[in-house]
Amino acid sequence: MRVVVAEDLFLLRDGLTRLLSAHGFEIAAAVDSAPGLLCALLEHRPDVAVVDVRLPPSFADDGLQAALAARQQVPGLPVLLLSQYVEQLYARELLADQSGAVGYLLKDRVFNDDQFVDAVRTVAAGGTVMDPDVVTKLLGRRARDEPVTRLSAREREVLALMAEGRSNGAIAQRLFVSEKAVSKHTTSIFTKLGLAASEDDNRRVLAVLAYLNA
Amino acid sequence: MGDMWILFIVGWRLISRMLRYLGRGALLVPVAAMGMALFGFRPWTLAALVLAVIVAVWRPALATVLLPVTMVVAGISGLVAAATEPGANFWTVTALSVLKRRLVRRPPNVVKQVIDKIRRPPVIVRQVIVNGHARTVRLGPPGVPSRVVQVPPGGSVNWAPGAGIQGVTAGGGPGTQVWVKGPPALAWQTLGPGGGAVHLSYAGGVRPGGGLWPGGLLVPLALLLLTLGLWLLPRNLAGLRTHAAALVSSLRRRMLENRWGILLMPVALLGLTVFGVHLWTVAALLACLVTTVRWPVIAADLVPVALTAFAVRGFTIAASWPSALAGLERPGMLYGVIMVTTRQTAMLAGAEASAFLVIAAWLVPRTIGAHARAALVPGRDLELEGRVQRLTETRDLAVDAAATELRRIERDLHDGAQARLVALGMNLRAVERMLPGRPEAALALVAEARETSLRALNDLRDLVRGICPPVLADRGLGHAVRALALDTPFPVDLDIDLPGRLTAPVESACYFAVAEALANAVRHSGARQVHIRMHHAGGVLRIQVADDGAGGADPALGTGLRGVEQRLAAFDGILAVNSPPGGPTMIAMEVPCALSSPKIFSS
Repeated sequence: MRVVVAEDLFLLRDGLTRLLSAHGFEIAAAVDSAPGLLCALLEHRPDVAVVDVRLPPSFADDGLQAALAARQQVPGLPVLLLSQYVEQLYARELLADQSGAVGYLLKDRVFNDDQFVDAVRTVAAGGTVMDPDVVTKLLGRRARDEPVTRLSAREREVLALMAEGRSNGAIAQRLFVSEKAVSKHTTSIFTKLGLAASEDDNRRVLAVLAYLNA
Repeated sequence: MGDMWILFIVGWRLISRMLRYLGRGALLVPVAAMGMALFGFRPWTLAALVLAVIVAVWRPALATVLLPVTMVVAGISGLVAAATEPGANFWTVTALSVLKRRLVRRPPNVVKQVIDKIRRPPVIVRQVIVNGHARTVRLGPPGVPSRVVQVPPGGSVNWAPGAGIQGVTAGGGPGTQVWVKGPPALAWQTLGPGGGAVHLSYAGGVRPGGGLWPGGLLVPLALLLLTLGLWLLPRNLAGLRTHAAALVSSLRRRMLENRWGILLMPVALLGLTVFGVHLWTVAALLACLVTTVRWPVIAADLVPVALTAFAVRGFTIAASWPSALAGLERPGMLYGVIMVTTRQTAMLAGAEASAFLVIAAWLVPRTIGAHARAALVPGRDLELEGRVQRLTETRDLAVDAAATELRRIERDLHDGAQARLVALGMNLRAVERMLPGRPEAALALVAEARETSLRALNDLRDLVRGICPPVLADRGLGHAVRALALDTPFPVDLDIDLPGRLTAPVESACYFAVAEALANAVRHSGARQVHIRMHHAGGVLRIQVADDGAGGADPALGTGLRGVEQRLAAFDGILAVNSPPGGPTMIAMEVPCALSSPKIFSS
């Protein structure tokens, strides 16, 4: 699986490439600025990009802007953003095009390399991975008339874990229930959110989007 | 026809462009013009129109706020005018006459007469005196000279205009005509030796006051204005409150900067009781109002001058009041708080005059004296001194605030990240020692160390967010407030128009001001809806945060809003809080600042 890594700090960039190589990823390019990232993304068309939000030249949200620009030209290009902070505003912008294959995680999540690599793979496969921090913040803030409020507490729990990019198996393990029970919950969620029974993966993305109110 | 059409389109374009440029407030001008049409071409209606133009051009926001109030006032005045108009003669007036019956409690038969007169409109009965003999004339329909009164040779005729007789055409002979207008109680016209005819015309529907609207339009127009005004009023209530709050706070500042000038208005009001209510005293009162607002220093100087004038007047009264023995009766007159009727009360007036003089003498060195010294001694400027004083105060507060902030950061670092790094170091040292002997225990410690490093990172993240929120640094105030709204646990309605970046300190101060206002709404007020408005116009950033919560916020009680006020004061910004117990709360901020061109994001 080919990866483009964008990170301006040498130590972190080096660590990331080493970590990803160790887990069997092929590093297509490792760049240190937003323009470089845009070029690399359009040139190499990687299976997934791991991008720091804050990049040169202006050290603002250049990484995010470059990733969004690339996704405009290559719709659905999988991008996993890393940042010292997670902002709902940026999460929404990432999710806005509704094509999935995006991730947004705190940099600390790299510490747990298994989970991090899982997240990279999920994004590459077209899934959506949101940092638990974003998800928790969203939990506190729900308008009364949204379809999400029709879900039961358990279903919302399952949906929150889905938003973090977990598979049914992982959710079952986390909630100490059978995988069958989880799939029953997911079916119920899809019905309540009015998502037609077509391709399962796309429905997962749409359910998460409904949940995130993007 | 085609020309008319083009003219119409051009006119419409012009009006819509003007509305877009000046905002809804520009409608104040046509409303004022309607007022002029309702009440006639008078000095005060003209003044209102000019004022409306000035406000609409220079203070569009204020004009928008004033619009509904003006509409309601004009509508009510129009209805009152229509109800009291004697020649009122249209269907709408029937309802008004019922209202009038309620208000005036007339006997029913009179009301019936009034209504009859209204129903059979165009005839009105008036008395004209010809050579001392009363003659009844019936006039009508409107606008047509309907009655000719013959006057014998050498005779004269008197008539009472008003009440329907708007103008009188008097024919002294063929071709001689005199047009009489206006509301004198009794007008008269002597005809030439040959006698002649007086044509009385009933100008039905024209307002006695000289307005231009036929009565038929007056009532619907007034109702239209009233309805529109009442419809707009609740929508503008928040703005009205903000303006009132801003006005109060700016008045407070003016009062602080100029202590004695504010005495001018009470003194001027006192002048009304000293010199009586005349045209010139009322004019002086208005002049004092303008002076107090525009030239506070001169206003302060005028206070002792006015008091001295009062004293002179009082002494004159005391000296010249005739004693009862002289047998001369003078009507009583008011002097300040004393009603002068006798020589004794005149002496009391003298005593009051002395008090005025003493106050004036006490004020002279504090006002005229101080200003003269400032003018004579070079390098002293009171205004500049006031400014320096304010700058010194706000600088002290800003330095204090910065020092407090630094202490907070130091404490947070000390108790948070620093402590965790120490723990991390100790853990690693323990791992070092355990690794050879007990590797499995060392493994647990490593996991713990990793956990500790995560916590340290979290602490640092929270700290940095408190110093400079990432979105604020990345994208500026508008986006940062949007992000803030997303993190708020209830719906926040945003109206942000900020097409550029501000300087970093102003952005930061404004961001934390909004954050504090929002946090108050979340923590204390139990609000369900918050509205944030943020606009930059005319070199001033205006922010309003309104919620529908319990109210009762007071900068004097909590440290939060007080801190915001002090932080904004460093940029000459002001904070106004309107939060009556029971709510709603409206917090308005104004910060003078420049807007740089929008940053283009690299992409």
